[in-house]
Amino acid sequence: MPGLRLLLVIIVSAALIVADQQFDRLAPVRSTLATGLTPVYWLGNAPYQFSDWVAGLFTTREDVKQENEDLKARLLILERRALKYAALASENNELRRLMNSSELLDDRVIVSEVVSVSPDPYSHEIIINKGRSDGLQVGQAILDAHGLMGQVVQTSQVTSRVLLVSDSSHAVPVEVVRNGLRAILLGTGDSGTLDLVHVPDTADIREGDLLVSSGLGGRFPRGYPVAEVSLINKEPGEPFVSIRARPKAQLNQSRLVLVVFPPKGGPRPEPVASDSEQEGQG
Amino acid sequence: MLSVISYPIFVLSVIASLVLSISLFPVGWFEFRPEWLGLIVFYWTFRAPAQFGVLFAWCLGLLLDVLEATPLGVNALGMALIAFLVLTIHQRLRMYPWPQQCLMVFLLLGINQMLVHFLKQVFGGEDAGFSYLWPALTSALIWPVFSILMDNINRKLG
Repeated sequence: MPGLRLLLVIIVSAALIVADQQFDRLAPVRSTLATGLTPVYWLGNAPYQFSDWVAGLFTTREDVKQENEDLKARLLILERRALKYAALASENNELRRLMNSSELLDDRVIVSEVVSVSPDPYSHEIIINKGRSDGLQVGQAILDAHGLMGQVVQTSQVTSRVLLVSDSSHAVPVEVVRNGLRAILLGTGDSGTLDLVHVPDTADIREGDLLVSSGLGGRFPRGYPVAEVSLINKEPGEPFVSIRARPKAQLNQSRLVLVVFPPKGGPRPEPVASDSEQEGQG
Repeated sequence: MLSVISYPIFVLSVIASLVLSISLFPVGWFEFRPEWLGLIVFYWTFRAPAQFGVLFAWCLGLLLDVLEATPLGVNALGMALIAFLVLTIHQRLRMYPWPQQCLMVFLLLGINQMLVHFLKQVFGGEDAGFSYLWPALTSALIWPVFSILMDNINRKLG
């Protein structure tokens, strides 16, 4: 009897795996199950929230005062920068308007919290506490305070799964801030290093160069810092240089992340649609 | 074999194992985390082979697939395989002393891990040598503690 059941289960599993992997038909099923499993995510995150709360109980008044003052000082610096930024942004938009470019720089973001990391040690994924009910869609970019973290790959009603830039299956189109040199940045499966591939050995690139998302491919918004070139290795005889970069985002530390919504009328996060749009623009 | 099966305990143990599968383990040591859901399936099919079996293990595996974002059906198949193997050997397993039981846990969970790892690789996962077998080893090491604890809870509340 168990043998018969095992046979049945093997057939059903094979059908499920093929339907999921080859034809991508099971996204609604997975999303429904994930919504049902929300209490599990919540329980998994509860101990950390509890320890945060306990730690909050035992901070002294002096510490809080000190922190408050530090934050005020930091706010002042950032406000000054924001003042300059507002002027620059309006100037930039003006210039773009003069050049008849329809794309204006304004991205809407919402703040979200990391509730869990992927239990699989070989995949770099995190789970955040915003989902379809907050308007999230597959393909949206995720940032932290320092740079690009990754993109949404699955959504349920109240949580979403984010693939980090360091995952070995992830790639971001980037450009060097200094001279606009374009390249593709691949994840390596190690959260501290990324690979910049297919850069010819005559290209003008140096250690310390900042790489920002180029917006080509239509998936990531333009101009967010992604990584910093940390090591360049020129092998004589090889057509391409091997370049390592360090991600700017704190991939395994950040607890608060920003979800970027694409500007209205801009490229949709759907890869096929954006490709055709880009051909249209180019 | 247990004389009474407490279904609330069963439900709680499943929820606890799902929570433990995604949380409460030091980040960076994820490689060594015991396969909690595998242990739960092993324990319940071993203790109550008449009530729990292949189909039920498959359903639990499906939940793990959703949590781990593996293709739906991969972990489900692995869990069903554990349940099937336990069902075929549970009478002999009962006679075994602790070390031999631990060995069986290691073998069965190892088979599960191998199957899951193989399927993941077919769909383009990365290869990390034999380190995918660590969960089977750590599960086998905590099996005596785990099983005595579960037995006690069952006896008190069942």
